[in-house]
Amino acid sequence: MIEIKDLHKSYRMGSNSLHVLKGINFKVEEGELVAIMGSSGSGKSTLLNILGMLDGADSGDYILDNVPIKNLSETKAAQYRNKFLGFIFQSFNLINYKSAAENVALPLYYQKVPRKERQEKALQYLERVGLKPWADHLPSELSGGQKQRVAIARAMAAEPKVLLADEPTGALDSKTSYEVMDLIQKINDEGNTILIVTHEEDIAHMCKRIVHLKDGVIVEDKKIEQVRAEQYV
Amino acid sequence: MFDRDVWQEIFNTLKTNKLRTFLTGFSVGWAIFILVMLLASVNGMQNGFTGQFNDDATNSIFVRPGTTSKAYGGFEAGRRIQFKNDDIEYIKKSFPEDIEYISGRYFTSTTARYKAETGSYSVQATHPDHQAIEKTLITEGRYINEADVVNKAKVAVIGRKVAEDLFKKENPMGQFVTLNNLPFRVIGIFTDDGDDNAERRIYAPISTYQQIYGNTNVVNSIALTYNPNYDLTEALEFSNKLEILMKRRHKIAPEDQAGIGVWNYAEAFDNISSFTAVLNGVAIAVTFLILIAGIVGIGNIMVFTIKERTKEIGVRKALGARPSQIVNLVILESIFITALSGFVGLLFAWIILALVGPNFQTDAFRDPSVELSTVITATIILIVAGVLAGLIPAMKAANVKPIVALSDK
Repeated sequence: MIEIKDLHKSYRMGSNSLHVLKGINFKVEEGELVAIMGSSGSGKSTLLNILGMLDGADSGDYILDNVPIKNLSETKAAQYRNKFLGFIFQSFNLINYKSAAENVALPLYYQKVPRKERQEKALQYLERVGLKPWADHLPSELSGGQKQRVAIARAMAAEPKVLLADEPTGALDSKTSYEVMDLIQKINDEGNTILIVTHEEDIAHMCKRIVHLKDGVIVEDKKIEQVRAEQYV
Repeated sequence: MFDRDVWQEIFNTLKTNKLRTFLTGFSVGWAIFILVMLLASVNGMQNGFTGQFNDDATNSIFVRPGTTSKAYGGFEAGRRIQFKNDDIEYIKKSFPEDIEYISGRYFTSTTARYKAETGSYSVQATHPDHQAIEKTLITEGRYINEADVVNKAKVAVIGRKVAEDLFKKENPMGQFVTLNNLPFRVIGIFTDDGDDNAERRIYAPISTYQQIYGNTNVVNSIALTYNPNYDLTEALEFSNKLEILMKRRHKIAPEDQAGIGVWNYAEAFDNISSFTAVLNGVAIAVTFLILIAGIVGIGNIMVFTIKERTKEIGVRKALGARPSQIVNLVILESIFITALSGFVGLLFAWIILALVGPNFQTDAFRDPSVELSTVITATIILIVAGVLAGLIPAMKAANVKPIVALSDK
């Protein structure tokens, strides 16, 4: 599903150049649930940005679902993001003047799905995250956990190949975090490929594989026994 | 463009920033308000000018004799020129194609009396054609006709004011009014659009008055209208030919301006037209300058809005919004604000003109109004202005990196 070969990325900071990713190689198969771990400055967010086509690499290859991702125009990148990727953000990033259902329907809008179908699909996905009764509520009327579940429904709505989650539990208390992880695990059980950036050990252990980044290189990449979040809920 | 989501977004931005939207919109609305008021004022002035001239046929020429200021053809300077009846015949014969109406004028003032009422009025003794040249409106009876001139009939056409003053409540028609101690039968009453003074006038056959004043054939001035199909150049060409001809006939130096006066309405009209055209141009130019301030204001505020919404735009891009969709959104929002506020300005100006306009009926200024063309021009200006105002913010929005959705926590 995802293949990365010898990926390099550096940022210019004034006259200095900061080498953030120093040759990353890794592969993700379909249906995997991968945690990317590392302390801040390890390059994990940069890696996720590149995976999410939000940022370009300096060198190296990135192949997503057999499509090479390189030198994309903004428009092309937008199309690919819309088609291939679903994003889950730490701060949810829901649009505050749109109802839960409208937020979920947004990626479908950019896919030019007709309005009626959008609404039906949005409700369908809200039901999957257990928030159908809150469909008409604005984000400000939802709790943090509920917001993140709406965000997950939104990421899922476009039926992407890969879900990218950037610290999805970072803004949540532990109980809600486990609820969200339970949901993510269930989505993964259905065969969806999911990448999670996190620095929390317990969250990482709820995945099936942990990739450890340090100073821009992968120092550890191991499959683990998944801890089910269900038991904590 | 007519997408519900797009409009939802636009309305939301405007709703959350009501005061800001109002203040920025105000500058554009104000500019359009000024534009419309200025154009309407120019329009009012134009109406005033034309109204003043409407009194007479706009294709009329007046030829007046003067006193020569240059020696010419064996005559000394200071010679008084006099027109006679045969001058009229001469002009008629010389320009059979050009002349529409022609009439001599013989002026005098007189004391008119009917029963106990008396009044002092000016008498214009004319030919029948004079009615068309002066656009005299007969309300009762008739104007002087050819037979009156031939018979030197003592008949008079009196102005509405004269009728009111002398006859009070009596019907003047057929009654005899005493002019210059001679009885004249009233054959008609006229009104005049020009002013009240014109209605204190009495018309009589020119031949009658020439006889009263010593059997003369002197004409004080000649009024004529030319072919109404002539454009300005043709009209000026004709009046020049006429002037040359009359100067030659009366042995006046061609360059002598005092010997004879040929006054052409077309010329005056042309001056007024170019004057109001310049005023219109100035009005539009001034408004454009004000409008530029408005455009900058809107562009400025929208750059702010974009900055505030950077994260949301980033999220949208992460969800698959193409840059062109973001640009469209911003431009559309900008057009919406400018067009809406512009139309509010237009509406206000229109209401004020509708309320105040009818009260302005002075000679120099009347019926200030907005024409449809003004409204259309304003609309086009507004849409262009909206696009211009949205351009920089739209470029800024398009350049928002979707990465901010992630990093800006």
